[in-house]
Formats: sequence, structure tokens, C-alpha cells
Amino acid sequence: MCPRCNSALYDTPYCSINGVLALCLTALILYFPANFYPVIEIQFLGNMRTTTVIQAAIEVCSQGFWVVGIAVLIAAVIAPGILIFSTLIQVLIVKYGLKSRFARKVLKQLLCYQPLIQQMSMLEIYVLALLVCDFQLTDFSKVTFGIGTFCFTMLFVVTIFMQREYKIEHMWEQVDD
Amino acid sequence: MIDDQVDCHQGKELGLVLCHKCKTVNPIANKTCKSCGYAIEVRDYASLQKSWALLITAAMLLIPANLYPISRLTNKGEVVYDTIFSGIAHLVHSGMMPIAIILFTASILVPCLKIIGLGLYLSAISFNLPLSKSKLTKGFHIIEWIGRWSMLDLFVLSTTVALINMGQLLDAQPAPAATAFGLVILLTQVAAKILDTRLLWDRLESTNESN
Repeated sequence: MCPRCNSALYDTPYCSINGVLALCLTALILYFPANFYPVIEIQFLGNMRTTTVIQAAIEVCSQGFWVVGIAVLIAAVIAPGILIFSTLIQVLIVKYGLKSRFARKVLKQLLCYQPLIQQMSMLEIYVLALLVCDFQLTDFSKVTFGIGTFCFTMLFVVTIFMQREYKIEHMWEQVDD
Repeated sequence: MIDDQVDCHQGKELGLVLCHKCKTVNPIANKTCKSCGYAIEVRDYASLQKSWALLITAAMLLIPANLYPISRLTNKGEVVYDTIFSGIAHLVHSGMMPIAIILFTASILVPCLKIIGLGLYLSAISFNLPLSKSKLTKGFHIIEWIGRWSMLDLFVLSTTVALINMGQLLDAQPAPAATAFGLVILLTQVAAKILDTRLLWDRLESTNESN
């Protein structure tokens, strides 16, 4: 523990590269259905309405609130995508490509931006937002969750475990030696 | 400047400096980081000003974000505007207390506390206020972590807007406060991110208080 601010100092960094790789691939598989299938559907007067995360963001954009739309798009779609992809590349480089100088350079750059991307990806908040939406909309109509919601929630769970398993200090050690 | 400190030495005295990009410890003589090649600054004094500027802008935007309506609901031809607060009040009236508490925390409590907390932190650096450094740092970490949760309201808004669009019958649309609210979140997050927190430990060293 840091004597000043009580944050954890880094302890013998170890992360199972294969574990991260497995979680990363799972997340990558889930990423596409999570974003292309509707995450929430309502029935209103016999009328079925569905939306995906991307559609919701574009809808807000098209009504002139592009600040909100872009924020939603980045936090719920783009940042998680980049996070998963970047982690995958890092793991692959650590596993197979440490010899080449170009790969090391790429790895360094990715590691530099990793904390920023981790902070921008807000899947957990979106999952909670879906829950809140469910409660708010039950006033009007019947709310159902589709395969997209399942994939999105699973994506969130897998990403949480991926970030738990992933230790950035360990990655930096790989670059240094 | 920092001679009275015995138990905690600053990297500056030991001739070491942390690269803020990749968190590698470098000798102070280095101009660029030995690990990532990024330019190293011992202290980023300008970050204090930038952080103040962003924080003040965010504080000003908080007013329209709360006073203007954030959503517009057309229900059978009738148009109702809702501010953040009145939306939550509706939830309380319809008996959805837990959801109301979540939304209240995420969209009113957190932004306000974040701005007050950051203001306190920055003024402690700027004006040498005798506040406990460890408490300030703890608060700062909480602010950095919890600030993200304000996005909840925008996520809910975008989903609702996309789902409920049936013309005059039932139609939800965002209203001006949405942009202001989005900017408040963005600006406060950037203000916290951009600040060189090492400045706090420099400035208050003279006030001689325990860690």
C-alpha cells in the first residue's frame, strides 16, 4: 500500500496470458451480436419496437443532440471494441511476436493508451441503464429482452474478467526484457 | 523546500521522475522517457490552470443542465417537458424508489459532488489550504472512479428516445439540457484526468501536517 494515498502498489505481477487470450476471444465473439441484435424491445399497442445500442445513439444524433449521441457511441460501442481488439493484439504480440522490433513498438504504443481506453469503456453502466429503462418503460408497455441483451450482458461480464486477469505492469515487464 | 519530510521522500529529491504516460521511473536528467520515448515533465504546472478552466466551465454548464428540460414526451398530442429533477420526482410518485435513488445519485448527486470536490482539491493546491492531503487524494480517487456513472442518464435517454417514437401518439425526444449535461460529464472527467496530482504534494509540504 502506498503510505500517502493508500492505493495498492503493484505486487509481483503475474497474469496468465492464455487466460486473457481466451477471455479476449470470447469477448470478441460476443461483441458483434451484442451490437447488432436489439438490446431492448417493447410492445406498444400491438406494435413491436426494438433498438440496438448503435441505433439508439444514431437516433439521438439525428435529432440534433450529437454530443450525447457521440458520447453514447464512444462509451458503449467504440471504446469497448478498441479495448478488446487492443488487448488481443497485445496478447498475441507477447505470445508470438516479441522478437521483432516493430511488434515491440506497437505493443508499447498500445500499452500507453490502455488506461485511457479502459476508462472510456462503460459497459457496466450501460447494463445498468438497460435495467433502469426496463423499469421506466413498464409504465407504457411490455418490455422484453432479446438475444442482444444476453450477449451484451455476457460481453460486460467477460470484459470485467478480462480486465481483472490483465495486468498492465506485467505487460510492461514483457517489453523491458 | 521539502526538508521537514522524513518518512516520504519525493522522487524529485531522489533524482527520479515518473513518466506519466507509461508509469516508468526515469532519472530526472532524462528529457524523454527511456521506455516509451514520451517527453517527461517533472511537474506540469499548466495543468492546474487547464483543470481550473475546465472545472469552471463545467460548473457553469451545470446550471442549464439542471434548469432546462432534458427530455420531451409527447403523449396523445400533449407535450410534457421533463428536467432531470422532475423526471426523478415522477419515478418517486409512481413508487419506483430504488430506480429513483439510482438516477438521483448518478445524475444530480455525483455531478454536484464532483464539481465541489474537484474545486476543493484545486483550491487546496492553488491557495495552500490546510486540508488533509491523504483525505483529498482519497476523495480525488473516488471522484475519478464515480464520475463515469453519470453517463447512466444519457444511456437511458438515448435508449428511450430510440424506442418510443410513434409520432403524436407517444414520442420521446431529447431536449437542450441533454447536451449541457453531456458536456458537464465530459469536462469534469477531463479536468480530473488532465491534472498533475503531484502538484498537491509539492504545495502543501510547507504546512507541516501529518500524512
